[in-house]
Amino acid sequence: MNQDYLTVALCKGSLLKSTCRLFDAVDLPVDGIIEESRSMVFSFPERKIKYIMCRPTDVPTYVEQGAADLGVVGKDVIVEQRKDVFEMIDLGFGYCRFVVAGPERLAGIGTKDLNYKRVATKFPVVAESFFRDLGLQAEIIKLHGNVELAPIMGLADVIVDLVSTGKTLKENHLLELAPIMDSTARLICNMVSYRTKYDMIQPLLEKLNEKVPAVAGK
Amino acid sequence: MNKRQIPKGFRDLLPQEVRIKRELEKRVAELLQSYGYVEIITPVLERLEVIETGTGRNIREDLFLLTDREGGVLSLRPEMTVPIARMAATHLRDEKFPQRLFYLANVFRYVQPNLAHYREFWQAGIELLGASGPWADAEVIILAVKSLLAAGFSNFKISINHIGIINSVLYDSGLTQDQREQIRALVEKKDLVRLHRVLDILPIEAEKKETLAQLPILHGSIDTIKKIPFLEKNFQALKAAGQLTEIYEVLRDCGIEEYIVIDMGVLRGLNYYTGVVFEGYSPELGYGLLGGGRYDNLMGQFGAPASAVGFSMGLERLALVVPQPPVGPPKYVIGGRDFMRMHLRAETLRKQGFIAEMDLEGLSEEAFMAKWKEQNRELLFLD
Repeated sequence: MNQDYLTVALCKGSLLKSTCRLFDAVDLPVDGIIEESRSMVFSFPERKIKYIMCRPTDVPTYVEQGAADLGVVGKDVIVEQRKDVFEMIDLGFGYCRFVVAGPERLAGIGTKDLNYKRVATKFPVVAESFFRDLGLQAEIIKLHGNVELAPIMGLADVIVDLVSTGKTLKENHLLELAPIMDSTARLICNMVSYRTKYDMIQPLLEKLNEKVPAVAGK
Repeated sequence: MNKRQIPKGFRDLLPQEVRIKRELEKRVAELLQSYGYVEIITPVLERLEVIETGTGRNIREDLFLLTDREGGVLSLRPEMTVPIARMAATHLRDEKFPQRLFYLANVFRYVQPNLAHYREFWQAGIELLGASGPWADAEVIILAVKSLLAAGFSNFKISINHIGIINSVLYDSGLTQDQREQIRALVEKKDLVRLHRVLDILPIEAEKKETLAQLPILHGSIDTIKKIPFLEKNFQALKAAGQLTEIYEVLRDCGIEEYIVIDMGVLRGLNYYTGVVFEGYSPELGYGLLGGGRYDNLMGQFGAPASAVGFSMGLERLALVVPQPPVGPPKYVIGGRDFMRMHLRAETLRKQGFIAEMDLEGLSEEAFMAKWKEQNRELLFLD
């Protein structure tokens, strides 16, 4: 860890614009971050701040290991990764939710009817703990994308996936059967950085807290 | 290649790593011995009941468990404080107190391995048994600071707190034990998002909510204690804060204030702590270096009530940040045609304190020089 700099891990994709808008509002430098989409490191020496761009699923890893002090990433990624990081602020944007979904013919079934189902998902940790906490058994099938295909092709009975508007489910004739949890973007912090760079981090957290709408993520 | 696999999260230590580990152990052990601490060794396996008596049941997922032939459940020790409390309750109960004990031991936890988490790792630590009050707390914290300094490392801070502050506020709030433990865990993990949501819906006074919401983010000099909202409303919490202040003052008077930070968010995961708690951090590593605290009820769990305070530090993590210790005196390699002459020369060198190895192949001078010339050694060939 570089002691003079604050290093922030950001992820490309849907959260980046909102993140930059928020950072701009608390007077953090964000020039060129969105435009120069191929750069991986943005350094602002006069402000002693550095951004690194990584895949969303890698943000908790960079922060846990201290390669970055702070990170912005969805709660969905945090719960799936199970990393030891401090979760400091709910930034409110990037709303989506984990649901169990299945073919329309399963409409109206209760959660206990999900016992012994085959579940296709990109999020095996979330799926497994959801079923286990309900005392249910499920066969988790880990896929890497296009999870909606699995029930159509008979690979799985239901899926556990992230939805924001529900449009993709509808297009594939799938129905939401049970909610699992809501997710929004979070500001996470390395456990040691928070202490060793407290004087840089805590004032920033307070400024961010003022700007994040109070209703965020509810 | 299955024959070459080793269990996940375990590691072989090669000579270079062992050299650093032994050097760190030596420096720390010498320091601890100079304070009157004596080394103890306990079995690597403990009965599961012993571990759970000490730590509560919530760490079972972190344990390596096995069964003995009588059907009992055994655990590889996940830490040393509980085994030492058990041992002291059995063997030291009639001794004079305080007892000053230290250990260098391997401990085992079922964690996801990475840079700073191994499933078997080494700890150096102390337990000061049968001593209460701020002087005893200060002695242990001073030794935590001095151990890191003795290891050759100075870029660190020790964050200290008193567990009695949050515990008293929680105890006073009328919450159930589950709710109290949930809040403690959220403060500890600094999951501020969930903490605020949980506090929002709990039926406790607004003032207590504010106290609990502030604790995880209060960090800094001794003045931090004064910033705890509504502390004066809770007598026990106020008393705990007073003890923390006293400890801080002793540490300041002993000249180690520059290493000490007050941090209300340090709670330590284990259930047995009752008083001061502390953790050591360095900006050079994203993980903690050491941790400890006071645990006055643990010995009583084993039938020999005594106050106690201690700390342990992770030797692998320390090895990641300390500068490489200097290499020792030059090493001689002796070649030649006459084994006895070589042997006598080697013995002479060894008596003088040098390391001397012998060529065992009877190589010619040319071959001998060629073989060892790349190595950083003094070569002697006896014709």
